[in-house]
Amino acid sequence: MLAYTVKRLLQGAATVWFIATATFVAMHSVPGDPLANQRATSEEIRRNLEERYGLDRPVIEQYGIFLGSMLRGDFGISFTQENRRVNDIIRENFPVSATLGILAVTFAALGGILWGALTALYRNRLPDLVITFLVILGISVPSFVVAALGQLALVNLNAAVGEPLLPVAGWGTLRHMIVPSLVLGLGTMAYLTRLMRSSMLEIADADFIRTARAKGLPPTRIFLKHQLRNAILPVVTVLGPAIAAITTGGFVVELVFAIPGLGRYFVTAVQQLDYTVIMGTTVFYGAFLVVMVIAVDLLYGWIDPRVRLE
Amino acid sequence: MTPPLRFQPADFEPISAGPPTAAPSRPSLSYWQDSWRRLRRNRRAFVSLAIVAALGVFAVAGPWIWPRDPAAQDVDQISQAPALPPTAAIVDPYTPWAGVTAEPPADGPRWEPASAGPSVTNLRLAEPATTQAVRLVWDGVEGAAGYVVYRSVYDPAPDRALGLPLGDTVGAARVSYEDRLDVEERRYWYSVVVLGEDSTERDAYATLVVEPVRAVSAEEAELRGWVADASRISPGDTIALPYHPLGTDYLGRDLLARLMHGARVSLFIGVVAPLLYVLAGIVVGSAAGFIGGRVDQLLMRFADFVVALPFLLFMILFKVAFGIGPGESGILPMLVALVLLSWPAAARLVRGQILQVRQEAYVAASRLLGAKTGYLVFRHMIPQTMGVILVTLTFAVPSAIFTEAFLSFIGMGVAPPTPSWGSMANEGIRTMLSHPHELLFPAFAISIAVLAFNLLGDGLRDALDVRMRGRE
Amino acid sequence: MTASPTPAAGRPLLDVADLHVEFDTHGGVVKAVRGVSFSVQAGRTLAIVGESGCGKSVSVLSVMGLVPTPPGRITRGAARLGDVDILRRKIVDGHDVRGSRIAMIFQDPMSALNPTMRVGDQIAETLQVHRGLSRADAFRRAVEVLAQTHIPDAEARAKQYPFTFSGGMLQRAMIAMAIACEPEVLIADEPTTALDVTIQAQILDLLQELQRRTGMAIVLITHDLGVVARMADDVSVMYAGEIVESGSADDVFYRSAHPYTLGLRAAMPSQATTKAAGLQPIEGTPPDLFDPPPGCAYVARCPHAMHLCRPHRPEPFQVDPAHHARCWLHHPGAPAGRDGVYRGARA
Repeated sequence: MLAYTVKRLLQGAATVWFIATATFVAMHSVPGDPLANQRATSEEIRRNLEERYGLDRPVIEQYGIFLGSMLRGDFGISFTQENRRVNDIIRENFPVSATLGILAVTFAALGGILWGALTALYRNRLPDLVITFLVILGISVPSFVVAALGQLALVNLNAAVGEPLLPVAGWGTLRHMIVPSLVLGLGTMAYLTRLMRSSMLEIADADFIRTARAKGLPPTRIFLKHQLRNAILPVVTVLGPAIAAITTGGFVVELVFAIPGLGRYFVTAVQQLDYTVIMGTTVFYGAFLVVMVIAVDLLYGWIDPRVRLE
Repeated sequence: MTPPLRFQPADFEPISAGPPTAAPSRPSLSYWQDSWRRLRRNRRAFVSLAIVAALGVFAVAGPWIWPRDPAAQDVDQISQAPALPPTAAIVDPYTPWAGVTAEPPADGPRWEPASAGPSVTNLRLAEPATTQAVRLVWDGVEGAAGYVVYRSVYDPAPDRALGLPLGDTVGAARVSYEDRLDVEERRYWYSVVVLGEDSTERDAYATLVVEPVRAVSAEEAELRGWVADASRISPGDTIALPYHPLGTDYLGRDLLARLMHGARVSLFIGVVAPLLYVLAGIVVGSAAGFIGGRVDQLLMRFADFVVALPFLLFMILFKVAFGIGPGESGILPMLVALVLLSWPAAARLVRGQILQVRQEAYVAASRLLGAKTGYLVFRHMIPQTMGVILVTLTFAVPSAIFTEAFLSFIGMGVAPPTPSWGSMANEGIRTMLSHPHELLFPAFAISIAVLAFNLLGDGLRDALDVRMRGRE
Repeated sequence: MTASPTPAAGRPLLDVADLHVEFDTHGGVVKAVRGVSFSVQAGRTLAIVGESGCGKSVSVLSVMGLVPTPPGRITRGAARLGDVDILRRKIVDGHDVRGSRIAMIFQDPMSALNPTMRVGDQIAETLQVHRGLSRADAFRRAVEVLAQTHIPDAEARAKQYPFTFSGGMLQRAMIAMAIACEPEVLIADEPTTALDVTIQAQILDLLQELQRRTGMAIVLITHDLGVVARMADDVSVMYAGEIVESGSADDVFYRSAHPYTLGLRAAMPSQATTKAAGLQPIEGTPPDLFDPPPGCAYVARCPHAMHLCRPHRPEPFQVDPAHHARCWLHHPGAPAGRDGVYRGARA
């Protein structure tokens, strides 16, 4: 297990390096002048700015500086907001995105496992058909539509009740978080439900379930100890990518619900061509996702002895 | 026990029929025949196939059938909800209205300082309301300092939300008002409030519901291009206005035309990008699978790296990096970015399939029987791999459509004014509360396309799954 | 370890009578088992032999209540374990008879164990459920049972997961799981098919050893006549959902009274098989069980088929006491033959 962990961490470090490099290359092939829409009114100011952001050095040297500061965890200073460090921006906005994401992932995973198990239990009966239909809808409707419709429904609900049950937008209290995280987790939940359903059905036909029944175990014990535990394994393996999908999908939900998260900040930074913020956020997100995927892998190893002991 | 049977000696004669072999009587089907048979049986998948075909027709032939310019703005019909074909009544050109001045009736209500006050009575239209002008008349209140006229698009009754204050009149006798402020063809609630002596509004008010008729003068109709010759129509006639079956957006652009042109963009990206990256995946994957060794390791390690890139962030990043020049739609950068980021999944799949097929006993057996490489590739490897690739391709389409929609929605995708379903949804969300159809139509289009391709993919996967052969 | 109480001699422990099982499929109803009867006594081994798809596994799975319903359906029959018809009722005195009084082991031990549970826990589970032992006690007992199956270092092995076991060891663990509650009847569905030949012999030895010690009855499902010869006291031969011949192992082997049994013997490799004679395959294929023939199911492949075999289904004829065959050749009116079919001591 230790060797496996170390190996995964080393791979993760290499991956983060690749993400950083890809980001650097992408940003340095942007056509046009990064200072064009800046206040580089005179040659002197321009030179000062170039010097400040290191733009006057050769590309290789810039790359070296970039990697060095990344290693130190220093993402530089914002292009558009003078004197604001990218680290501070991330520190302020990321917790919001992370909270939203964690809530959404929790909701998606629990919901997916629950609904998936239910559909498998009621295979081809009414609950299965209803949930399967909802799942297909959930997979097919884009997150921004769900977000918009969710907000629309909320407005009408509040109007119908006569007082604001749940806030329509904004951030701060738990009540602000409920609807956005539901909306954000919905697509992933639908996907996980589908996965869980097919996994449950596959396991239901497995030989060891037959063995358990031949042993005369009570159905609930077979379901919980033998079927459910094995059926969850494939769901756990896709949790890593699911977290990635949810975190980046958060952009839209943050935009629609006016949540001050890093995703919304990233979109603004791209619109304003704020180079350092774009690079910093991308690398940060990339590293975050790599860490999450490794964490899920290790979790999987903890659940499945076949992985743990190899 | 059955009753004892009586047998004749002849019954015990041996059957001297030919060979006892009973040949299997079921017809044998080839892989693709069997797959097609099962796909056809799957009603859900077959309906999706029909929907996919219909979407294709909608995108390709649509703009010919409905040749409305998706960028043309119809300023008379802005944010128009889907409705029957609109018409306009021809009226005389506008002439100013002097209004009505009348002393309040002697036996009518009087204004009293301390109370909520009486409201005006008999609020009515001086002449039929048109979009040209709405002319209101009422019976005044004696002692009033004047009247304020409000207009709302909602019923003001519950909490006295009277809406927009249009203007006020001076003096108790001035009992008329003419509204010419962007009157549209819809329902309005006009309210008149009495002003007290100190020019403060009283609580009491009278409300009239008015539905103005779209009206235009003959000259104006010609000017707008709705009729060819103004002299051939006269007041009292009705003319047809440009029809927007699905309504218009916030700039007055025809939604049906935009949906059709948007379908071209969205489906083009949705289909071409997966084709390209699956093709790239096949090339890389089969290279890795066939060459093996170092090359394989290198390619797959690189694929691992690319997979680890945060997808949407890099889509946005590449989009910024490739840039959009003036006059470009931004479709090409999006295609390139999609291909660059999405090939590894297909490559891994193809490589895995090739490695697996190469190890299959039946391939070894075929080789032992003297099969040439070409035969092996076409008889075993391609049929084995094609199914999986086809299914991957089908599932890649909805995710590509999603990606386009997502990027366009956050304004990082197709550049305006080129319509795409995602960018239409982006524009629609701004007017979501008042004109939901502008969001709902593109959202519905995206959902139905994604749904159809997903179900088709499900059906294909079931149909091509060898383990399912002969079942159902 | 004490031997389980042996019922009066001659009285069967498990008695299956006139079992009918059908499956609904998209192609129609498959009549997989068509009136199967067999019984087994304490301390004895009954082998059910037949080729793939003849319904031997389905028969015992039905007895164990392991046929998925739907699509499966038991339409007729009874399976008495002592006084209880376990075909209808699995719970006796609040306890499932499965795992406690009747146990089963399966063909593929690799997939028959839960991959995410320790082997010891899987054995202990039965003891917890049926004997009400605490977790720790059950585990301790599980280690003992595992040791009885001659797994070296059972204590350590019990704490491991199935994927660290070899095939033979997994089958031993499977057996340990089955015998943990000292069942009266053990059903073994092709227990050695998936194993190496050398391991096969060890597993069979183990089963015999355990039988001697506990006096349990064994129902052995196999298509391997070698295994039958080694293990069985009694043999039932199945073909197309019916038992075509039943009797003691010697009867069925040396005095085969059904042409199909003869065919099976001829198709079996043995030391006596000479190169010249070679193996004799049975020509043709079994009948379509979507639409089973009205008469004898074997008629299309039988070298001795007679005219009455097609329309009339043969009843089991008594060849000798306790030796029956479903074949019209045993009808008094049938011609005495030179066909190699044993016609009984009276003939």
